[in-house]
Amino acid sequence: MSVLPFPSFLDDVKEKGLKRALFEGINEVVERATAGMNVQDLREALRGDAPSRKPNPRLQPHADGFWLHMRPSYFHKSVTGLYPEFRLGWLSTYFVFFETITGIFLMVWYTPSPEIAYANMLSIMSNVPMGQFVRDLHRLGAEAMVLIVTLHMLRTFLTASYKKPREFTWFTGVVLAIATFFLSFSGYLLPWDQLSLWAVTIGASMVEAAPPEIVGTNLNLIFRGGPELGANGLLRFYLLHVLAVPALLFVFLGVHYYKVVVHGHSLPPNEENIGEDTAKRVPLDKRVYFIPDILTSEVMWLGVTTLILIVLVTWFFHAPLENHADPQVTPLGTTAPWYFLWIQGALKLGDKVIWGIVFPTVVIVFLMLYPYLDVAKSRRWAHRRVSLTIAFAMASGFTVLSYMGLSEFGVVNSADIEILHEITKEPAHNHLGIIRPIPFDELTPGMYITRQFLAEEGSEAAAVAAFNQEIGNGSLPLEGGVTFLSYLSSGQHLPVSSLNFTVLSEGTELYHVMEEFAHMVESEDKELYNGWGAVIITDWQEDLKRVDVIISWDEVVMERGFPVLDENGEPILVLDENGSPTRRVNSDHIFLHRNAQYFEAPGA
Amino acid sequence: MNLKRLLVERIEHRIIVGTVSFLAIMVLVGWIAINEGGRMKSFEFQYEARAIERGAELFTANCTSCHGPDGRGLQGVAPALNSPLLFGYDYLPEYHRELNTLNLEVTGLEAEKRLPTTTPERITAIDARLAEIDARKAAMETEIAGTIAQMQAAIDKGYNPDGFSRLVNLGWQGSLNSFVYTTLVHGRPTSSSYWPGAMVAWSQTAGGPLRADQIQDIAYYILNWDKGSEWTLEDLLAVNQFPKIPADPDLVMVGGGEPVIGAATSPQDVLAGLEGLTGDPQSGQTLYNGALACAGCHLNAAVAPLLEGTWTRVNEVRLADPALAGYTGEQYLAESIIHPNNYTATGYVSGLMPANFGDRLTYQNLADIIAYLKSQDQPAS
Repeated sequence: MSVLPFPSFLDDVKEKGLKRALFEGINEVVERATAGMNVQDLREALRGDAPSRKPNPRLQPHADGFWLHMRPSYFHKSVTGLYPEFRLGWLSTYFVFFETITGIFLMVWYTPSPEIAYANMLSIMSNVPMGQFVRDLHRLGAEAMVLIVTLHMLRTFLTASYKKPREFTWFTGVVLAIATFFLSFSGYLLPWDQLSLWAVTIGASMVEAAPPEIVGTNLNLIFRGGPELGANGLLRFYLLHVLAVPALLFVFLGVHYYKVVVHGHSLPPNEENIGEDTAKRVPLDKRVYFIPDILTSEVMWLGVTTLILIVLVTWFFHAPLENHADPQVTPLGTTAPWYFLWIQGALKLGDKVIWGIVFPTVVIVFLMLYPYLDVAKSRRWAHRRVSLTIAFAMASGFTVLSYMGLSEFGVVNSADIEILHEITKEPAHNHLGIIRPIPFDELTPGMYITRQFLAEEGSEAAAVAAFNQEIGNGSLPLEGGVTFLSYLSSGQHLPVSSLNFTVLSEGTELYHVMEEFAHMVESEDKELYNGWGAVIITDWQEDLKRVDVIISWDEVVMERGFPVLDENGEPILVLDENGSPTRRVNSDHIFLHRNAQYFEAPGA
Repeated sequence: MNLKRLLVERIEHRIIVGTVSFLAIMVLVGWIAINEGGRMKSFEFQYEARAIERGAELFTANCTSCHGPDGRGLQGVAPALNSPLLFGYDYLPEYHRELNTLNLEVTGLEAEKRLPTTTPERITAIDARLAEIDARKAAMETEIAGTIAQMQAAIDKGYNPDGFSRLVNLGWQGSLNSFVYTTLVHGRPTSSSYWPGAMVAWSQTAGGPLRADQIQDIAYYILNWDKGSEWTLEDLLAVNQFPKIPADPDLVMVGGGEPVIGAATSPQDVLAGLEGLTGDPQSGQTLYNGALACAGCHLNAAVAPLLEGTWTRVNEVRLADPALAGYTGEQYLAESIIHPNNYTATGYVSGLMPANFGDRLTYQNLADIIAYLKSQDQPAS
C-alpha cells in the first residue's frame, strides 16, 4: 500500500513489474497529450491501418483537443486533391504562422525609430547570425502570402464556394485579405530605406484625398503622425504591423476556421445537385479522415513548403535594402508595392477622390457583399455567366490597372534623364545602372565619347579626333553662356583643366557599356538632336573612382514630353537670338569603390 | 478530372517526403549557418565601400567649396583633410625616436643632478653627458636638414615637422574617426576667430542638415584618404592650407593692446613698473570679477583665500611670516599675482593659481587690482 493517498507509479511497478508499468505510464501520457489516442492508435494510424477499437479513437482529438477542434474530423474525398482547393487556404494559414515566427525574431533586433531603424537593418545584415536569412524569409513570406491569399480568394469566387451557407465565411475572408494587404504594406515602411519611405508615401498620399478636405487632412495626419512621415508615422506603422492588424487577423482567422468546421469544405460544383450543400453529409466511402491522412499530408507540406522557401532565399531571393530613407531625394520611378499598383494605376485615370478613395472602397464593399447579392442557387459553371464575367473582368482590370501603375506607364521623363538614370542608378527594384557592375579594374581613367561607336569600322580614331576638334578643348559654348569646361569644373566640381577624348579599346565591359550608351543616345535622336554622350573616369581616392556621364544635344521644341516634328519628320530646333541652336547638357556622376560589389543579382 | 487524391497518395510516401524535407531543411540551414561569418563580413565590407561612395558624393556637394575638391584645403579658407598631418604621418620617424630618447635622458640626468645625494664626481659626469647629447642633437639637425629643406614650402605654409600629428597637436584623446565625426557633427563654432568663416554644424542633432549615417559616410570618405605608410613628400607639398592652432584663450590679453608686464619679469622689476601709477579700484573690481575671473576661485575658502578682508589679512597674518620679512602689503600682492608660486599661504596647495597673469596684464591693470584688493580691509562678518 502506498504512503500517498493515491496509487503511485511505484505501486504500479510492484504490482505489474517495471516494463509493463512503464509502458502503461507512457501510453497514458501519450493518450492525454493527443487528447484521446494511445500509442497503439498512433502506430495504427501511421501505418495506414484501420482503427482496431471502437469508438474510433481518431475522432477523439477533434472532440476533446483544442487544436484539432478547429479542424473537421474528416474531409470529402473530392476536396483532398489539387483541385478545387490547390492548398491555397492551408497555405494562407501556413504563412500567417510563418510570418509570425520570423517576425518575432526580427522584432528582437528592431527599434521603430527613424534614428536607428536603418542601423538596425545594417546590424541584422552584418552582425546578427542568420539575420539576413530570417529577414529574407519574412519578406519572401510576405510577398507570397499576398499572392496566395489573392489566389485563394479568386478560387473561392470561381467555384462559387461563397454561396449559402458560406456567405459570412467569405466576408471574413475579405477582411483577412485586407488585413494581409495592410500587414504587408505596414511592414514595407519598417526598414526605413528609400524603397519603404517612397512606396509608403505614395500609398499614404491617397488618404489625404478623402473628402471633405478637413477629413482628408486629419486622416492623413493621424495616419502619418505628422505632415511628413517621420518618427510618429514609423511608430504607428510598426504598431499596426505587430499589434493592431495581427490582432484583427487572428480574430477573423478564428471565425474563418470555425465556419469551415461548421459548414465543411464546399465540394466541387459539379458533384452536388443544384441548390444542395452536401459538405456535411459525406458518405462513408467518400470520407478521408483527418487522422491520419490529412494530418500527415499537412505535416509533409509543412516540410516541403518551408524547404521551398529556404531554397528560394538561399539562392534566388534577397530582401531589398536600399539607401537610408531621405524625404529630400525622390528616386526616379517610385511605385507603390506591387499589390497596390492597381490603385496607383487607377489614380492616373483622373480624379484623386474618385479613383483613389471611392473606387477601392467600392471594390472592397462589392466583394464583401457579393455573396448576398448573388443569391442564385446554382454553382455550375454554365449558370454563373455573370459572376464569371465579373471575375475575369476584375482579374484583367486589376492586371491592366497594375500595369498602368508602373512608372513606365504615363510618366514621361526627358530622354537625357532616362538615359542617365539607366546608366548610373543606384540598386533599386532589382535594377541597377549598367555602369556599376563593371569590374573596378576595367574602369580605366580617361575620357570616352559615344561618337566612336557610331563611326564606320576603322575610322573610330578619326571620329574621336574630330570630336576633340569640335569641343575645342572644352571651349564649346553651352546654354547659359558657359563653356563645356567650366560646366564640368565649376558646375560639377570635376577638377579638369583640359579635355582629351581617347579611343576605347574593345573587349572590356566598359566598351560594351559605352556601346550601349551610344545606342541609347542614337535611338532618341529626335529629342537628343545632334546628341552625344561622354564618360569621364577619374582616379579619385585609393580604391575609389569617379565616373561622370554627360549627355549634350541641341534643344528641340517639345510638347507633352515628346519632340514636335515638322513635315519632313525632323524635329524643330530651338534657336537663340543669333539664330544658332541652343546646346543643352545634362550629366550625372557617381563614385565607385573597389569593394562595393554591384552585380546583377536578386536583391542587388 | 480524375486527379489522384491527396497528391501523395500512400501514407508511407508522405512520411518519406516529409522526413526528407525536414532533413534537407536542417542541412540547408546548417550550411547557411556555417557560412554566416563570411557573409556578415562581406556585407560589412560592401557597406563600407558604398558608404565611401555616398560620402564622396556628400563631400563633393557640401565640403569642396571650403576644403577643395581634392580635400587639400583652400588657402586662407579651410585646412586640408587629404593631408599627412591629419593622419599623423611622421616624415622623420628615426629622428623623432632618437630625439625623444635623448630628451628623456636629459630630464633624468637633470633631476639626478638636483638631488642632494649626487656626488660632485657624478655631477661632472652628468655635465659631460649633457654636452655630448647637445652635440648629438646638433649633428642630428644637420642630418635632417636635407629633408627639412625639401619640406620648406610646406613649412612656409605653417607645417611643423615636429608637430606632425593633428590629433596630438590638439591634445585629442580619441580616435581619428571620432575626431572627424565629432567635428562634422558640431562644426567648429569658434573657428571664425582664425578662419574667414566658422565651420557650421552638419548633423541634424546639432541643427545642421545631415543625418547621422550621412555624417558617418563623410567620415568614412575622409578616412579613406589615409595612405598609411605610403605618404610622400609630394602629398605634403600639394597641401594648399594647413590647420591653424588657435591662440591659447588663457593668454588673451585684457590690457587693450598696451604692453603687458610679462610673466617672467622679476618681482623687483614689477614693483619698479608700478611706481607712480595710481590704481582705480572700480576697474580693478571689473577685472577681478570679469576678464580675469579671480572671483571664480576666491569665493571658496577651501580652494583659495577669500576676497573679503584681504588687505587686513595680508597685513596682520601674511606679513607676520618671517619668510616675508621686509615686504610691504602692495609688494606682497603684486608678487602673489604675477608669481603666485613664489610663496604659498599656509593651508593652500601651491601651483593652483595660473602663473600667466604677467602675460595678460599691463602695469595699470595690476595697479587697479591691487587698489581694489586694498579696499577689502574688513574681515567678513
